[in-house]
Amino acid sequence: MQRSNIFDYKKYRYFKIAVAIILIAITAYLIFEPTIGHYGGSWLGYILGSLSAALVLWMTWYGVRKRRYRGSGATQGWLSAHIYLGTALTVIVTLHSGFQFGLNIHTFAYFLLLVVVISGFFGNYTYMIYPRQMTENMGEDNLDGLLLRIADADKLARQIALTMPDNINNTVARACSETCIGIDLLEQLRGYQPNCPTALAVEQLTLMGDNLSAELRKPYRELYSIMVRRQSLVKRVRQDLMYRARLGFWLYFHVPFTIALLVAMTAHIVAVFFYW
Amino acid sequence: MIHCLLIKISNNKRGLPVRSYRTLTADEVTIGRGVECTIHLADPRIAMHHAVIKRLADGQPYLVAVNGELETDGAILQTIALTHGKDIMVGPYQIKVEPAPPDVSLSLSLELVNHLPDDFQDIKARTHEPLKGAASFKRRLSMWMAVVIALIFLALPLAQNLIPQLKAAMAELPLGFDRVWSPGHISNAHLHFGSQCANCHQKLTHKVTDQACITCHRDTTPHIANTQLQKLAFNKVNRLSDGVRCAECHREHKAPRALARQDNATCVKCHGDIKSIDPKTKLPNIHDFNLDHPGFKLTFSTGTKAKDIERVPQTDTARLVEKSGLKFPHSQHFGKVQGPNGIWDVREMSCTNCHHQEGKEMRFKAVSFNRDCLTCHASQLDVGPAKAVIHLPHGLEQNVINTLKVQAPKQVTHYAEMLKSDGCSYCHEITDTKKDDALPWRISPLHISQDWFSKAHFNHASHRTQQCQSCHQVEHSESSADVAMPDRKSCLRCHSGNNPKPKRIASGCMSCHDFHSSHTAKGADQVSSTAEK
Repeated sequence: MQRSNIFDYKKYRYFKIAVAIILIAITAYLIFEPTIGHYGGSWLGYILGSLSAALVLWMTWYGVRKRRYRGSGATQGWLSAHIYLGTALTVIVTLHSGFQFGLNIHTFAYFLLLVVVISGFFGNYTYMIYPRQMTENMGEDNLDGLLLRIADADKLARQIALTMPDNINNTVARACSETCIGIDLLEQLRGYQPNCPTALAVEQLTLMGDNLSAELRKPYRELYSIMVRRQSLVKRVRQDLMYRARLGFWLYFHVPFTIALLVAMTAHIVAVFFYW
Repeated sequence: MIHCLLIKISNNKRGLPVRSYRTLTADEVTIGRGVECTIHLADPRIAMHHAVIKRLADGQPYLVAVNGELETDGAILQTIALTHGKDIMVGPYQIKVEPAPPDVSLSLSLELVNHLPDDFQDIKARTHEPLKGAASFKRRLSMWMAVVIALIFLALPLAQNLIPQLKAAMAELPLGFDRVWSPGHISNAHLHFGSQCANCHQKLTHKVTDQACITCHRDTTPHIANTQLQKLAFNKVNRLSDGVRCAECHREHKAPRALARQDNATCVKCHGDIKSIDPKTKLPNIHDFNLDHPGFKLTFSTGTKAKDIERVPQTDTARLVEKSGLKFPHSQHFGKVQGPNGIWDVREMSCTNCHHQEGKEMRFKAVSFNRDCLTCHASQLDVGPAKAVIHLPHGLEQNVINTLKVQAPKQVTHYAEMLKSDGCSYCHEITDTKKDDALPWRISPLHISQDWFSKAHFNHASHRTQQCQSCHQVEHSESSADVAMPDRKSCLRCHSGNNPKPKRIASGCMSCHDFHSSHTAKGADQVSSTAEK
């Protein structure tokens, strides 16, 4: 029997809790409207605000908790709660704000929270989609295995190209020595490199094969198929790098903005109670 | 013809150089990757026909580039003379011109200097680690954001509050560091000083005090005139509340919403259980105009001073009599009435013939004899026979008696009695005088109530679409003692309480009452001033 995942952990326990919290908060918001309109300083606003602050601290603690091997409850359960309660938190904080936004620390803290939650959603999405696609992409290979196969292809291609005219030899040599994988962050995230030497080489080889003498035709075809194989191997390595980059990239936002949120939330609370 | 000794230098398994010798004799010695070349170099970095060694016109051997590149001393050249000691790079190979033995004309050493890298290590080196340095980037980004946010949103606003010198310096500027703490727009009225938070937020961690408001609003009156009771009701401090402050009702940072609260919650907090504030009070508990608001009390003017008023409930019909000192039947002054010129002088009269509106709220000027009565009525009384008519001016009774004394000294008593029974008494109440009074009778002083609802405000302008008679039923009033003020039921025809009802407007406490002057009879002053006219 397949074990439960983070979403249906304990029969959707945290999903149900999150939905209940959201419904209670929205109902309270609709019923208890202060006559001067909703705002964070009404009694309902204070309750929602306190709940939000507690949730933020608790969810930040998840970052510490998951790095520990001991602690109460399964990490899977913590993550399940982290995701569902984080989603509920967005609703509660929005109600806490009473939809009153401006150029101030309060709205800034709200903005930071949204960045954290939205990056979390993206992270969630990547963990739902990419691990399976990664497995599909790599099959039974691993990264070093693929690179070894590329190296083998290079050796073979160069060997055959030695007998070929200069333009073919140069094209192959350039493809072998200049193909880079995941040069910068953008390329890693895209999983695609424009003007990839290997892709260009395959494209150029297609045109170069026309004027070859009869005895070079056979090695040419062999060379061409090696280069096409090389292109597909490079593509798979790039894809693998892309998945790994995307799996980690959302944390560029999620973690630093969480730290920023904690500081901003402190400033928000200090501001509110210093200037009552 | 070239006789060339080619010394090929390679490394053995131990990595030591091994030289192999070969003599070439040809017109042109070709170098290239092609198998047909004299010197065959199987390396992908060498062109098929890379270069050729041949004698040029001067008879000396030269290395001439064909399809490849030749490099010597860092320069890429097409033709290089093969002189002793020359060092040339042909692709990854190094060719050196060695001292030639006597049997050959040229001696060259050839060595592969730049080996092809290991393919696996090469491609691995060019495969970058995903998100390299992410951890340090995240750490640095977190730190920077935390520092910048703490500085802008916490440290600077706090420093401004805690360092007096900085506070004084910042007070001169249009904005303070603490502007970032402002939770919302400031109302227009307070905008000119609101950018400096400390103007209102005078003490950190303390709510805005009334003192901060009173700095400007010095003339604002308290809700309750009795100072003790005011303190008791509003300064009730407990764990959850530090009393009812100005800011409880006047909520700042909520623009464009109105600054003053218009709801009843704060009023009902006390008036819903008024005995808890003042056990001796006679006021009833009120929650809603529609539900439990008591009937109105009308303010009757009883004297000439501001304090001379009497409040009579509308339910107390026995006391609901206006003692104005005048005799004025509204019924004779409404609709089609006969003018002073006989039966052919029929005039259409309406309320506004005598009641003239003034001000934005459409209050009404006090009725004036000169302005309103003289349109139809004579300005003087005539007594005596047709041949000797005495014209008596409208005014103080002393003037009337004096006129009689001058014009008919023998008949003063007779005419005074006439005036008492028919003349002045036609409109005025007459009171008898005591024996030692110089006058035989006096006109009763006028006490015309001008502000009937002195503890509420009523805006006639808001009701201008209504007929006057829909609230003031005076068409059939025969006596000036009649009071034609609408009661609560009459208001409830169009108004409801805190919540709107079908075809009825929601009307809270603030629709009629003014918080700050609700316990002072504002209308009293007007009553006294009216009476003198």
